[in-house]
Amino acid sequence: MRETVFKTEIGLTHYLSADGEPLGELPGWSHEPEPLTGYYRWMVLARQFDQKAVALQRTGQLGTYASSLGAEAIDVVTGHLMTPEDILVPYYRDHILQMIRGTPMCDLLLYWGGDERGNASPGMGRDLPNAVPIATQTLHAAGVAAALKYRHQPHATVCLCGDGATSKGDFAEALNLAGVWHLPLVMIVNNNQWAISVPRHLQCAAPTLAQKAIAAGVPAEQVDGNDPIALHEVVEYALQRARAGKGPTLIEALSYRLSDHTTADDASRYRGPDQLKEAWRKEPLRRLRQYLVNLGYWDESRERQCLDEAQQQVQRAVEEYLSTPPEPVESMFQYLYAEMPDQLRDQIEMARVRGGGDL
Amino acid sequence: MRYFKLPDLGEGLPEAEILEWHVKEGDQVKVDQILLSVETAKAIIEVPSPQNGTIEHLFGAPGDTIHTGEPLLEFAGEKDQDSGTVVGELKQQTTAVNPAGEQFFIGASPSSREYRDRHISPAARALAQRLDIDVNTVPQRNGRVTAQEVEAAADRAQRLGPFEPLRGVRKQMARTLASAWEQVVAVTIHDDADIEHWPAGTDITLRLIDALAHACQHEPSLNVWFDGDRLAVRRHPQLDLGVAVDTEQGLFVPVLRNVGGRSAEDLRAGLDRLREDVRNRSIPPAEMLGATLTLSNFGMFGGRYATPTVVPPQVAILGAGKIMTEAVVFEGKIQPRRRLPLSLTFDHRAATGAEAAHFMQLVVTRLQD
Repeated sequence: MRETVFKTEIGLTHYLSADGEPLGELPGWSHEPEPLTGYYRWMVLARQFDQKAVALQRTGQLGTYASSLGAEAIDVVTGHLMTPEDILVPYYRDHILQMIRGTPMCDLLLYWGGDERGNASPGMGRDLPNAVPIATQTLHAAGVAAALKYRHQPHATVCLCGDGATSKGDFAEALNLAGVWHLPLVMIVNNNQWAISVPRHLQCAAPTLAQKAIAAGVPAEQVDGNDPIALHEVVEYALQRARAGKGPTLIEALSYRLSDHTTADDASRYRGPDQLKEAWRKEPLRRLRQYLVNLGYWDESRERQCLDEAQQQVQRAVEEYLSTPPEPVESMFQYLYAEMPDQLRDQIEMARVRGGGDL
Repeated sequence: MRYFKLPDLGEGLPEAEILEWHVKEGDQVKVDQILLSVETAKAIIEVPSPQNGTIEHLFGAPGDTIHTGEPLLEFAGEKDQDSGTVVGELKQQTTAVNPAGEQFFIGASPSSREYRDRHISPAARALAQRLDIDVNTVPQRNGRVTAQEVEAAADRAQRLGPFEPLRGVRKQMARTLASAWEQVVAVTIHDDADIEHWPAGTDITLRLIDALAHACQHEPSLNVWFDGDRLAVRRHPQLDLGVAVDTEQGLFVPVLRNVGGRSAEDLRAGLDRLREDVRNRSIPPAEMLGATLTLSNFGMFGGRYATPTVVPPQVAILGAGKIMTEAVVFEGKIQPRRRLPLSLTFDHRAATGAEAAHFMQLVVTRLQD
């Protein structure tokens, strides 16, 4: 005799069509102007920042930069639902999420411009800095979540990664630990369909990435990553579970990378224009704007004003960034020892002399 | 900014090829407006304008490769912040870097392969820039250039002044000989001519010229021009002899034409006239062209043997050293005899060792006659 010992299903939450029309009954809060108009303003800012950052890189004023084009809704919604005491463990597309959490735009530009002071932003609070290596941050997040649990602090750790990261051992290990230790971890996979040039169907044979969490005993579900209402519902539920000591959740947010992988990439070499065109039809800003317009919460003049404000805000940050003097040469010796060893003292002196004191 | 230089558009890309300009000279552009499309090793990239301004000049046309750090275009009416090239203007060494200026650019350092292949530490580069030393001229130690080497170079520059550039004839000599050294497969044969029997007052130069004419007649394979690119030779029916003349300004090699068919008196007169013209710097350039073989009689200054340098398209040069009386075995007995040391360099691409040895033998025999 053979009996079924395990069965599961993966749900996909979505509320809005690509054109911003309700697909069914909407949650009550989504009929109000807030927080959705607030979400939209941040998403506009995210896109303006992104566009300017790419232009700065193209003109030699910023290092390699990973665009967040198409991932705005995931970051903006998650950023607003997190409390200040929750802890963010971001990856390299979470610029706007870091901004919402308190990192000034100028510090983000400094970081991507190769100035480590951007990574030491006081605005980051207890959040971890950006992780460039793939999936390493998932383990850091498990550790942070373990610390929260150990200290009996009722807060959540939120970790983001891409679809490519789910193929790495780190990801599986982090989930395993989160499951077995019942950690307050919300793992959000921004499944934007591409890991540099590797498409989703070559990344993993499983029909969903969410189901990888099931193997670790972690509840998991999919959400439309271009749908702010669906994201709000799913992320909020996971955060509350984590804070209430009910354990981890994996959220696979379905989005599409509308940009190149980074400024060092040219996606047109491996990605057809039709697919990209179709993805633009589903993108999150247009969808939310249409929804808000339909409700009468948004119009042409608000749009113009919002865009103006966002551009000015970005421009101010860029000016501040470009006029930030380089770090003094001594700074590379600091932060290593409480008391400076003699050898390093000598080296600092040498660096001062050779660097003219203002390198 | 005045010059917009090609930034590193990827991660360590040394260059980009211009595909298309979207603006032309005289155009007004706005910040972030697309200026041009370039193709790097990784991607086709649209490059926006870093500022508002008017395009004064575009560097490069579609198809041209621009190296990272080289200017793409010039904006009109902008102060040249990165000049430092005005003669007499001292480069400031300790002022703060202008944060909004050219130096804030990321990845905009020159990065040709040659430049990168030298092991120069970033600290050494930065220091060299600050001290206004060309880091590529700093000698390496253990295959590396560190800040110490740069400091030593700066110290030398301060004590001894900068290198003094060669001019005129000396510059030409350096170029000609360096180029000759690169091309020629030089082999040198040494021998001595016994000239004990020469009467006092013998014109040594004329004897050498006579011996060379004789050798060319019987072994014409060295009296040729060799074209190294096409691997071809041109034989010369007569010997037009280049005679090296040393002056304070440098080395001159006027040409004595058809030395085989002229009398000794005529040759001496011609030689004197050439030397005089060289010393007076009145020799026409045509008089220094077309030598088929060269004689360098350096013995009058000293030194016995040499490895003279053949200057293409010629394939041979004979050097004559200082005559000395030596103890040699002559007719079975050790005797003091006057000997003229000879050094014949030939281009082994154009002649065989046997031909050269034969030529040398003919010269020696003729001198000993």
